[in-house]
Amino acid sequence: MTNDERPTTDEYLWDGSGAPDPETARIARLLGGLRTPLPPVPDVTRIARLKPSRSSDRAYRGIRFIAPTLAAAAAIVLMIAATWRATQTPRSWEVERLAGRPQIESTPIAHTARISVGETLVTDAASRARLDVSTIGQVVVDNDTRVRLVDTRRAHHKLALVSGTLHAFITAPPGQFVVDTPSSTVTDLGCVYTLHVDEDGTGLLSVTAGWVAFEYRGRESFVPAGASSRTDPENGPGTPRYDDADEAFRNALDLLDSGDNVKGTFGARAFVLAHARPKDAMTLWHLISRVRESERGEVIDALAARAPMPAGVTREAVMRLDHSALDQWWDSLGLRDATWWRKWKGRYPLDR
Amino acid sequence: MAHVLDLGALEPVPVLSFPAGGRDAAAMAADVRAVAEGDGDAFGRVYAAYGRMVRAILLGRVPRREVDDLTQEVFLTAYTRVRELRDPAAFGGWIAAIARNRATDHLRQSRDHDELPAEVPGGDAIEADTLIVLDAVRRLPQAYRETLLMRLVEGLSGAEIADRTGLSPGSVRVNLHRGMKLLREKLGQ
Repeated sequence: MTNDERPTTDEYLWDGSGAPDPETARIARLLGGLRTPLPPVPDVTRIARLKPSRSSDRAYRGIRFIAPTLAAAAAIVLMIAATWRATQTPRSWEVERLAGRPQIESTPIAHTARISVGETLVTDAASRARLDVSTIGQVVVDNDTRVRLVDTRRAHHKLALVSGTLHAFITAPPGQFVVDTPSSTVTDLGCVYTLHVDEDGTGLLSVTAGWVAFEYRGRESFVPAGASSRTDPENGPGTPRYDDADEAFRNALDLLDSGDNVKGTFGARAFVLAHARPKDAMTLWHLISRVRESERGEVIDALAARAPMPAGVTREAVMRLDHSALDQWWDSLGLRDATWWRKWKGRYPLDR
Repeated sequence: MAHVLDLGALEPVPVLSFPAGGRDAAAMAADVRAVAEGDGDAFGRVYAAYGRMVRAILLGRVPRREVDDLTQEVFLTAYTRVRELRDPAAFGGWIAAIARNRATDHLRQSRDHDELPAEVPGGDAIEADTLIVLDAVRRLPQAYRETLLMRLVEGLSGAEIADRTGLSPGSVRVNLHRGMKLLREKLGQ
């Protein structure tokens, strides 16, 4: 770079108005090739009523005025806190009433309360409530819902959704927040989702952001943002599908998920394979391990038509559900790679 | 003033598209306050204004395939915690800190596992040279790394970078100049 070029290159770096030297231009061209449109604005409609916890607001207001005193006592407080934390585990969450008269066990919540492990929060047709999931997120409990706090300790928090609807927003690392339902276990992978369970145990999971793992008796689904998965006590998690898929496609998948003995399954499979869009490769990938071996080949062909089998992966390996081959194919779909799953669960997601 | 580039065999420099900025600080602060009250439209405007800055911060730390998901997570975190922000004018620095912390958490989760290479083709045709340059950028000091990625990947102008990050325009100029110089040295090694 010469002295004559530098100011021009600097102007180019500042606002693109100058003529860059060739090396700067090359770097700019290469890095500019990484530019992609911003992902859609995250959907906050489900969490529009979530607020920072009142306890932290109160704490902040108090700290403003007594900060000098707190500073003087900080060392003592920290020592006490450290000792306390070493021996205690928080076993309850704060609950805030959002509407109506939600109850913990049979006690109505006037404004806020705490729910302890083993207790059940119940909302009727007119009531809603918000749970602070320790320090890792929040759950809004819709009307006509029964949810029990099963466990809460460091890096492990579990609810049981008996029936009804909840909206979860979790910022913790994957695997720390789990919801049991009568027909599945829902493991948060860092996301926002809505989970509904009917009285008969059937359910629907809809993911707004991030990923959710859906598991029951060894059958698992990984559901990305914009997708949903049904579940029922007999068959466990259904095949995940994007919510913007045609209704006929989603209906066919529901039929396919309902089991081999249901009339029309053959036609449903053919319809799904014929009408899957390129983005539905995610759905087809899940189907590979869910259909009979005799049917697996046509699913593989359908997936390959939408997402070519990557180099190093063979049809034979996929036919025998080779874990490595399936992982590599999944990775090629442009979604989060299979290694990411291993961070929160050590075994293969398709193991039955 | 129009410039005619003669770069010989090099392909033309892509036209950088600067996001439509121009919203003054007061308007942006008002939007941040509105987000705190649950205004979804204001959230969309804040996302449009700061989304590329957050992506650049994340891209400097985590694999490309993770950046979009993490960007959304950062903004959802900001949405639920924005009432804790006392000064709306500090939003840029605040959400940048959230992004850095989220990237750190993400890498910590990955640390004990056998990872794929940090960057692998994900169905798009990324040149090998691009990945070499990106890797070199990631080895720059934070201030240079983030500023260069905001400018050259996300297409923000220097003035927009200063506006979003809260850095002075002079600091942004220095970061761009020194960052590019250091990057070229690393690429030349």
